[in-house]
Amino acid sequence: MSKPRGGFSAAVLSLLALLAIFGPNVFGLKDGEMAPPYSKPSWMDKSIVSAETLTVKSDASRGDVSYSENIRWNYAPPKRVSFTGRLDFGRIEWVTPNRAFVLSDKPGEIDLDARDIPFKRAMGADPFDDMASVLFPVSGDYSLRVVGQGEISMRAEGGRWGLLGTDHRGRDTATLFVRGIRVSLMVGIAATFIAAVLGMSLGLISGYAGGIVDSLIMRIVDVLMSIPTLPILMVLSSVWGKGLWNLIAVLSIFSWMGTARTVRAITLSLRDAPWVEGLRALGAKRNYIVFRHLLPETLPLLLANIALGVPGAILAEAGISFLGLSDPRLPSWGRMLHEAHAYGAFTTGAWWTILPPGLGIAVICLVFMDIGRKLEERADPRLAAAARPDAESVKEALE
Amino acid sequence: MSENPRPVSLDIEDWSVTYAGGKKQVRAVKNCSLSVARGKIAGLVGESGSGKSTLLMSVPKLLPAGTVTGGRIRCAGQEISSLGEDAINLWRWRRIALVPQGAMNSFTPHLTIERHISEVLNRHLGSSKKECAEKAAELAAMTGLEKGALHRYPHELSGGQKQRAALSVALACEPDFLLADEPTTALDVITQKDVLETIVSLVRERGMGLLLVTHDLPLAAAVSDSLVVMKDGEFVEHGPPREVSRSPRHPYTKKLVAAIIDMESGT
Amino acid sequence: MKTFLKRAGGALAVLAAVLVLNFFLFRIMPGDPLTAIVDPRFSPEAKAALASQWGLDRPISEQFLVYVREMLSFRFGLSMMTGAPVWDELKNRVPNTVALLLPSLVFSTLLGLWLGIKAALRRGSLVERIVLLGGAVSFSFPSFFVQLLLLMCFSYAFPLFPLRGTSSVPPPEGFAAALDYVWHLALPVFSLTILGFGGFALYIRNMMVKALGEDYVTMARARGLAPRRVVWNHAFRSILPPVLTIVLMSLPGIVGGAVITETVFSMNGVGRFLLEATNSHDYPAASAAFFLLALLTVICNLIADICYVIVDPRVRREAAHE
Repeated sequence: MSKPRGGFSAAVLSLLALLAIFGPNVFGLKDGEMAPPYSKPSWMDKSIVSAETLTVKSDASRGDVSYSENIRWNYAPPKRVSFTGRLDFGRIEWVTPNRAFVLSDKPGEIDLDARDIPFKRAMGADPFDDMASVLFPVSGDYSLRVVGQGEISMRAEGGRWGLLGTDHRGRDTATLFVRGIRVSLMVGIAATFIAAVLGMSLGLISGYAGGIVDSLIMRIVDVLMSIPTLPILMVLSSVWGKGLWNLIAVLSIFSWMGTARTVRAITLSLRDAPWVEGLRALGAKRNYIVFRHLLPETLPLLLANIALGVPGAILAEAGISFLGLSDPRLPSWGRMLHEAHAYGAFTTGAWWTILPPGLGIAVICLVFMDIGRKLEERADPRLAAAARPDAESVKEALE
Repeated sequence: MSENPRPVSLDIEDWSVTYAGGKKQVRAVKNCSLSVARGKIAGLVGESGSGKSTLLMSVPKLLPAGTVTGGRIRCAGQEISSLGEDAINLWRWRRIALVPQGAMNSFTPHLTIERHISEVLNRHLGSSKKECAEKAAELAAMTGLEKGALHRYPHELSGGQKQRAALSVALACEPDFLLADEPTTALDVITQKDVLETIVSLVRERGMGLLLVTHDLPLAAAVSDSLVVMKDGEFVEHGPPREVSRSPRHPYTKKLVAAIIDMESGT
Repeated sequence: MKTFLKRAGGALAVLAAVLVLNFFLFRIMPGDPLTAIVDPRFSPEAKAALASQWGLDRPISEQFLVYVREMLSFRFGLSMMTGAPVWDELKNRVPNTVALLLPSLVFSTLLGLWLGIKAALRRGSLVERIVLLGGAVSFSFPSFFVQLLLLMCFSYAFPLFPLRGTSSVPPPEGFAAALDYVWHLALPVFSLTILGFGGFALYIRNMMVKALGEDYVTMARARGLAPRRVVWNHAFRSILPPVLTIVLMSLPGIVGGAVITETVFSMNGVGRFLLEATNSHDYPAASAAFFLLALLTVICNLIADICYVIVDPRVRREAAHE
């Protein structure tokens, strides 16, 4: 586990933000391009090939009967083999060290995939055979041959891909991971910010106005606090739709209560502070006192509150996504873990679809907690200590 | 109690205390020596931060972990400053009891005063429930605490009642020595006088030794048999109270005495 | 007594608000509840028949009265998916959820208590490091991630525990069935324990550190009391009220979090029931599960209040004076 602190946390956060903005352009896979599902990261197992292609083209000017290209194969059999091209006349052969396959002897377009059952039949294999290992049985020299006139390319994809392999659909995990940063950061910061502003305003109003307004707001706080968060998020995201902004709205509506209580308590204590009474005695208007004096007093704490609230929002988003209640088109870390779980990533041992998103969430939460602590220290430490009894040790834990 | 020809005494010899926590070390008590015999009252006077509370708390080894001490403390001839936690625990309260500062919340909030008393009686003397109740009532009568207060919780008592309660708890095991740390500071003037009188008369009556720590020089001078003035961790004056207040040697004591004389002549 | 009544009144008010909210929550969505589950090609007559089966053709005030009656009687109406009473579905799942949560709560509370106090007593020790780390983990690691890792380690890489469910297929009989059940629950319970103890231990440690620094603890030591007594009867006993509150207040979150655990380990519990009901837009079922969770929250809050009064003499006397 990383141990972010102070400047280090800020650096990690900036790095993640930069990755979120520019990452998708830097990393791999274009849309639509798919590798074999659950390919391993390319640095992991050198005995597997990531991808090999071999192209043979007949050349009429040379007037030869047969054209071939060779490939030296020292790897395990690939996961996926395909042949594409065109045959004008003659035949196309695949020569392994043991035997030769006639891939096609009928003129026309060629588009063969080793997984197709007609192809397996035509090669004399059983439909349940793994055709890729029939075509690449051992290490040795292979050749692709055009006897006659035509053009053919062979593409063999192994079980390796990119920085972090691929998921169950063959998408590049590193790309998904980088895209997920954006969702986590956006949901976390937007939801907490809205909630903080909401809590701040209602807390100020409640604390300064008092009376019926105060008790009304505090009753609302009581009711909202009695509603278990995860279930209501689930219900609302199914009722209101699964969009990102819906989720942000729901999260903010259900997380402003703590801030409101804190700000109310501070406002109450400040309202009767001698200097506020002095202002009143000098004839200051209520709005002036609230916006020019009370608000700035509570502002530093608000900032710290936002930072400390972000992990909660990120974890809530991840939870909702993990339950499959988020927009399936939106790649997020929670969604990645949902798919890893739903499509049995751990029964194939595909740890690379589980570790990066999970650790990503954890690191981003730790980073925000650390930054929040630092901000809180800068704000009035007395108020901070009163507001969060657990904050001190979270900081210690990070050091 | 003791058959010794010499009176039993608490001897602090060349005693130093250093707080080692944090970046820099602070020597709070520097090579101080002091002796209190049973039946005698020693006054220890100093301003706040002079190290007097540290000195007092270091006798029953109640300073925070990481504190380094030097020199030795003997009680009834036996060295207690080198004892381990388990061994010193047997001396605490049984032989050396504490009357805490009035401002301190020295009582556990969820226990009644009687529970505090019976707890120590049970621990040190193995008293039964009934004995405890009897003893508690007796102690309350002795210290002037109304009987009803025994069954109340600390937060329900007034400052004066709390201090009398603290005295009752301190006397429960009939210790040889009482260490009193500003026992009357947080009280109003009249209660202060009452409480102090109660302490002094009980100490004299029962022949205990009292180490009275206070910032109030006249008060200490009035009741003690010997007087020590402490400044920045050092004893700057040591002698009978009359001598100290009449012919102070150290400039600090001189200022202290002069201020009192000024005040008295002013009124 | 007056305090109790006041608090109970407050709880009832909150419950009533939740009841109203719950009702409208499922009626603010676009269209009517039927569109979500009924094929658009259904004939209008068939739709009308369905609507009357769930009472959706009646005026909203009447629907509300029916809804309140169903909720308070714990029948919760008929499921839109199965047509069976929701409670019949729910009650089969309650034991699994209880069997999952109760041991986890007990273990994580006891472990948290023990480690938290140990950490407070031995600052800078290994125990304290474990507590601080456990706290950071429980505040920053998603539960399902930790659970997935455990599954990967102990069910796939080293297959010591089953991958899913609450019983083997085919289920064994007699005593073996009980063992089988425990074997299936072991990993989920373990995961919740290690996820739960950290935050709790951290909280206890912080409060204990503060309590141990109090004057009255120093005085208790000065009285020569046994160290064990100082720690438990003086320091720990004085933080008991907030500790009780924390345990009780964390309960609803833990029950709500059962959704995730039951999903990861594919268990048939109340949490997954809520997830399935939500996914299939089975509103009576979802609102029943939701209502039960809210009810639990309100009850826990009330118990916490009452415990506070019983345990803390300062509040107790004030309550008596009122």
